[in-house]
Amino acid sequence: MAWRIGVDIGGTFTDVALIDDVSGDIGVAKVPTTPRNLAEGVLSALDMAMRRHGIAAADVGLLSHATTVVTNAILEEKGARAALITTRGFRDVLELRRSARADLYDLFQDAPATLIPRRRRFEITERIGADGTIVTPLADSEIDGLLAELKAARVQAVAVSLLFSFLNPRHEQRLGARLRAALPGVPVYLSSEVLPEIKEFERTSTTAVCAYVGPTLASYLERLQGAMRAKELPSLYVMASNGGILEATEAVAMPAMVVESGPAAGVVAAALVARQIGCPYLLSFDMGGTTAKASLIRDGQYETTPDYEVGGGASGNRWMHGTGHPIRVPVIDLAEVSAGGGSIAWVDRAGALRVGPKSAGADPGPVCYGRGGTEPTVTDCNLVLGYLDKGSLLAGDLPIDHAAAMGAITQRLAEPLRIDARAAAAAVIDVVNHAMAEALKIVSVQRGHDPRDFTLAAFGGAGPLHAAALASELGIARVLCPPIPGAFSALGLVSTDLKRDYVRTVYTNTAVADPAALEAAFAGLEREGATMLDRAGVRAERRRFERTVDARYERQSYELPIPVPPHVLDQAALGEMAQSFHDRHRQTYGHDNRSEPVQLVSIRVTAIGVIPPLPIRQRTMVQEAVHAVPTRRQAWFRGTGECTAAIYHRSRLAAGQMMEGPAVIESLESTILVPPAWLAKMTGDGFVVLTRFDRGNG
Amino acid sequence: MQDAPLHADPATFEIVKNSLYKIAEEMRVVLAKTAYSPLLKSAGDFSCGVFDARGEMVAQGPDLPIHLGSMPDAVRAVVAAFGSDVHDGDVFIHNDPYFGGSHLPDVNVVRPSFSHGRLLGYACLRAHWPDIGSATPGSYGAVTEIFGEGLRLPPLRLISRGTLNVDLEKVIFANVRTPDERKGDLGAQLAATLRATERLKALAERYGAEQLIGTMAEVMNYSERLMRAMLAELPDGEGYFEDFCDGDGIADTPDGEDAPFWIRMLVTKTGDRVVVDFAGSDPQVKGPINAPLSVSASGVYCGLKTAVDPNSFIPPNSGCWRAIEVKAPKGTVVNAEFPAPVVYANHEISHRLADMVMGALASFWPNQVMACSQGTSAILTLGGLDPRSGRRYVSYETIKGGFGARPTKDGINVVASGISNTMNTPIEVLEMAFPVRIERYEINPDSGGAGQYRGGCGARRVWRMLDGANATGALCMERMTSPPFGLLGGKAGAAAVVTLTTPGGVTRRLPSKGAFSAPAGSVVDMVVPGSGGFGPVDKREPSLIGRDLLEGYVSQRAARESYGIADPGVLKAAAAAEDKA
Repeated sequence: MAWRIGVDIGGTFTDVALIDDVSGDIGVAKVPTTPRNLAEGVLSALDMAMRRHGIAAADVGLLSHATTVVTNAILEEKGARAALITTRGFRDVLELRRSARADLYDLFQDAPATLIPRRRRFEITERIGADGTIVTPLADSEIDGLLAELKAARVQAVAVSLLFSFLNPRHEQRLGARLRAALPGVPVYLSSEVLPEIKEFERTSTTAVCAYVGPTLASYLERLQGAMRAKELPSLYVMASNGGILEATEAVAMPAMVVESGPAAGVVAAALVARQIGCPYLLSFDMGGTTAKASLIRDGQYETTPDYEVGGGASGNRWMHGTGHPIRVPVIDLAEVSAGGGSIAWVDRAGALRVGPKSAGADPGPVCYGRGGTEPTVTDCNLVLGYLDKGSLLAGDLPIDHAAAMGAITQRLAEPLRIDARAAAAAVIDVVNHAMAEALKIVSVQRGHDPRDFTLAAFGGAGPLHAAALASELGIARVLCPPIPGAFSALGLVSTDLKRDYVRTVYTNTAVADPAALEAAFAGLEREGATMLDRAGVRAERRRFERTVDARYERQSYELPIPVPPHVLDQAALGEMAQSFHDRHRQTYGHDNRSEPVQLVSIRVTAIGVIPPLPIRQRTMVQEAVHAVPTRRQAWFRGTGECTAAIYHRSRLAAGQMMEGPAVIESLESTILVPPAWLAKMTGDGFVVLTRFDRGNG
Repeated sequence: MQDAPLHADPATFEIVKNSLYKIAEEMRVVLAKTAYSPLLKSAGDFSCGVFDARGEMVAQGPDLPIHLGSMPDAVRAVVAAFGSDVHDGDVFIHNDPYFGGSHLPDVNVVRPSFSHGRLLGYACLRAHWPDIGSATPGSYGAVTEIFGEGLRLPPLRLISRGTLNVDLEKVIFANVRTPDERKGDLGAQLAATLRATERLKALAERYGAEQLIGTMAEVMNYSERLMRAMLAELPDGEGYFEDFCDGDGIADTPDGEDAPFWIRMLVTKTGDRVVVDFAGSDPQVKGPINAPLSVSASGVYCGLKTAVDPNSFIPPNSGCWRAIEVKAPKGTVVNAEFPAPVVYANHEISHRLADMVMGALASFWPNQVMACSQGTSAILTLGGLDPRSGRRYVSYETIKGGFGARPTKDGINVVASGISNTMNTPIEVLEMAFPVRIERYEINPDSGGAGQYRGGCGARRVWRMLDGANATGALCMERMTSPPFGLLGGKAGAAAVVTLTTPGGVTRRLPSKGAFSAPAGSVVDMVVPGSGGFGPVDKREPSLIGRDLLEGYVSQRAARESYGIADPGVLKAAAAAEDKA
């Protein structure tokens, strides 16, 4: 039981992180992702990693995986032939959506795709009322005809979503039992099991996502599980969007839970670091070639959001509706912007400098790669400013064309803007940093947290390069660059707990609620969680249940999550919950209304199987006494202009070594930029910590 | 002005510009998450904006195009009324369409932002209150003077240096139905504008008040430059379009018929400017469908922005409209004079004008226009006493129809179009809040106009009043007698139809506007217009007709009658075979 292994499939590479359970030592492997057969890529990456580190199957204690299968099936429209059954009169709920369009003035916008087309949407006579009573009984006599239609349409999965099933699931259950009996091998997803929550479109959409991707996810995981068994490796866990891991069978039962598998892993790793180094307030910042993601960690915990759309256009603010398929499951609260090393800078026809949203991607890539790119990118600007160079780009595999990058910036940016080329490059960096700072503000300022109280944790290929500037913009005084920034997300896979969320709509308020009934409802959800933990073989001392409640003022429509006091619910506990709600409302929105009762909409239980935490460390290779001696090159910073920066190699740094900016710390995976007025320090665990030592007028 | 160089520092310009738009977006989040009425929290019937000290709109949030033209007037009205008598901690409120409002239910909350005593600008949040008084719950009665439309608030100081004017607040809440709910909505408006002014202040502290104010002016100049550059690249031309409206809700004949009225529009584009002239339009009418000029301008701007800037490059603000001149004779339906009633016009006339702009442009920009969309906000209000709680309620819903067909694409089924972008109210939320049951909410087949590209279908929604819940309803719709037009050979979409069936089983058609009694057990059945088709019908790809048949967007009968398909079954079978392949 010495090793934990995490496998993270990304767009370009599949990363493997290995951690020695005892020492905390880290190993990494990277193979190209194989889009046509993702399982192959996973298996070959695993083989390679285990061979390289001399690990036998028997040495592997935990195997965990972040997969893009679900998201890909939706983006590529390659999911199952699914059917939807609704209350009579409502088969179009999935297509009618919330009826707002995504772009106000786009003449040529497309209607958002519908996962289940109208020809496979069926109706059945029945109706539950708004109080949960039966208005029209379920027409059992219609079921045979329905089955014949489902068979004729050769459906591969069925979603059932009846009105008010979150209040009374009996009709769905009766219909579901008939469908399951008559359609062996066809998964049937009931909205009252998937998401017993109010709002028919959101519930139907979540259930439809499950049916659409369920069969694809099931066959993918079965193939992987088979291969694991053949190699006598332990059973596979899957990363869920809520930051926990799940047994493969749980993931198949609720596929909507694994949509943001990969990005969640990075935040989990950052949260682990936060707890490990005793820095409980972290902003995590993950920047790659095309997108940057921000997330907030408070008290060592990440936050989740119940509103998410899968398969929509990337949006900095997840509040913007209308482009994807809504799923109402807890997803780690991330803000994402289309900004990365490949983002293209341009001057628009009114003479303003713009960066993105177009990206040069991997092909043709930045101008300096000499592969046909002609439009200057963020990477080209970093090169021209001296932050990157031949050695730190692509590990020297390709010749880097500095002159071409300079030419493109001069011609396309500096001349139209009538400024110097390096000033233009610096302006590009400022603009892209600002866009990313906005993402960080969404998860902090917009949620009522002051970023100045946080440390910035930067990873991903480009994160550490931009981190100090971002920190300056947000008034953050400290930046943390963890070891293996390029495969950092994979670490999250093996350092998190088993975790599943259960929800039930209750609709009561703190003035009238019966504490005993509420206690019983919580206990019911905890029993469901216990069954899941039983199946996973989690021992009693490793089990934990967390209770929260979604609360709001009665006539509001959006809830805030409120913790439930950790003891049996009584009248006093209800009062405490109301109090926390008023406080949280004031903190989030700037006002409260203490004379009003607090409505409790849904109760939530998170069932957790605790997996012991791990220390993350990468031992420094060098004795403390032998501090690396830097080389030097010219770099350009706003404020100082051209200056000489010290260039270090990360692998040759000694523990405790201090480096004053301007400096650049290079490694194969990622470059750390230490601007003037910043100080970097190598820790004994392989972290580089940047602090601002000049807090003047910054 | 448009030749002035950009700000000396391109990065600061871009950053401040983006920050200003983020502020408007953040206002939206705060409002939606804290408001009480479903119309605001679920449907999103409000607009947010950041304004300079003169009341010019610097950044409009991604809310409702309907307020493009009229939002700046909302702040200008405060500037005009109070001049320099504006202080840190003040908040202003008003709703009068003759003083910078749009219609009485749209209540503007305007809050100035200061940095070290210097006025930076204003935040304004315009929110549609589901009720503002008057004789009809929902304030959508067919009256003949603005005095009958509800509580009129000229620009007033609601909060003075942080102190609430309690007397004013009492007057407001004494005049609206469901005052508790309105208090929650007003609280949300105050919170959202407070958030915005705090953000503006932080920007001023970061970049300096001078720099911020200068950049605000430049952001508007920037939009103007972009608009003019895009206009200059398009061909010059002149296009005329006329269209009639169903009526004003007031009977014009002894047997109760509502007479139509006409709007006439001439669009002239020369170089980098556009003139839209409404000469020849009908005089203002008795009922509340008279548009103040700023409401008419909103419709024109929305249509032009979509046609000129189809990829949404230009940030919407007051600068965009400097290149556009709207001329309308005083006293007409598109430039109403006091005390004409206006409540319907805010959306019905601006919807109409946005569609008509497309019709007028089609002759010289055939690749930049769309066929007519649903052309109405299709509003049903219901009010009365909820027998389940004993409380008074007002429900306000707007139901969506088709989005017009385009030069290269079909229209879109049941989505907000033109000047509107509100959301529907979920059935489960509606039924828990109000004593109604929805019996049907679906796509209405065959309602999209035929053409090379088919118009989008409209929705059908059916309400039943619960036992013991006698309600007063009111409708506000258009395009019952004037169906949404097609363009360049495309056919019109289906017209609107609304019926009321009493508990006794008697069904009658409701007129497009005005109040009606909906006793417990009665059923309202609303068919919302589809949208027009684009291009000649005989050019439609047969496989697309087959797909529409398979999905049931087009019936076999309509395929025969509208598309001239002799045997629709064959096309449908071919589409089905492809689906199973």
